[in-house]
Amino acid sequence: MAEYKLDCLYEACPIPLLKALKQLEKMAIGEVLILHTDHNCSIKNVVEWTKKQGHYIDYVEISEGEWEIYIEKAK
Amino acid sequence: MRIYEKVIKKPWPYWVGGILLALLNISLLLATGSPWSITTGLLYWAAAIMERLGFRPADWYYFNNSYEYGLKAGQGFLFNTYTVLNIAIIIGALIAVLWAKEFKWKRVKNIKQFLFALGGGIIMGYGTRLSFGCNIGAYFSAIPSFSLHGWVFAAFMFVGAWIGSKILFKYIL
Repeated sequence: MAEYKLDCLYEACPIPLLKALKQLEKMAIGEVLILHTDHNCSIKNVVEWTKKQGHYIDYVEISEGEWEIYIEKAK
Repeated sequence: MRIYEKVIKKPWPYWVGGILLALLNISLLLATGSPWSITTGLLYWAAAIMERLGFRPADWYYFNNSYEYGLKAGQGFLFNTYTVLNIAIIIGALIAVLWAKEFKWKRVKNIKQFLFALGGGIIMGYGTRLSFGCNIGAYFSAIPSFSLHGWVFAAFMFVGAWIGSKILFKYIL
């Protein structure tokens, strides 16, 4: 399975969400997107949006104020 | 530790923030006589800088004919309620982020981001002065005051946000 990385460091709303949206459009079902962000709104709006779309999602704080959001495209 | 996770670390649901903001805005109105606004304070800071540079913004048409000043007796361009509130926002955000252990120095990503932020800031700042407020003063504080201009502002804010994100998505990202 292919894995894509998306660098969203130093970027604020709505850039991380829109970037994720655009990248997910290009991906096939089952592929994983790893979004790297330091914007704490992203762990709310990106997570909520992808859940609503029905994709699988999880995130982890990799260091203080920095997160990796994992999105597996489900449909 | 569970309470820390839930209250300090995890982002609050939007409805909790909404209720808290409403209660705080009501208390602010009770205490100071005017509801919350942000960019008016920034305008006064800019006017204070202009004064230091030798201009006389207090005599300008904008401040005297088209605008309800909002400054109370004894308040100047630099020392007023708006200044206190704007500094308090920054201090409050700093406390929240330190408490959640999420503080991080951020830098400019690239020159493109810098130029877009600068251009966007100028457009937004100019817009707030034409509409006499930002999404706080002319929207969040206007609608609970039963002012029609808040609803007009809201309608066009959503139109603007929709067009903006389309352009952003299609041409810039």
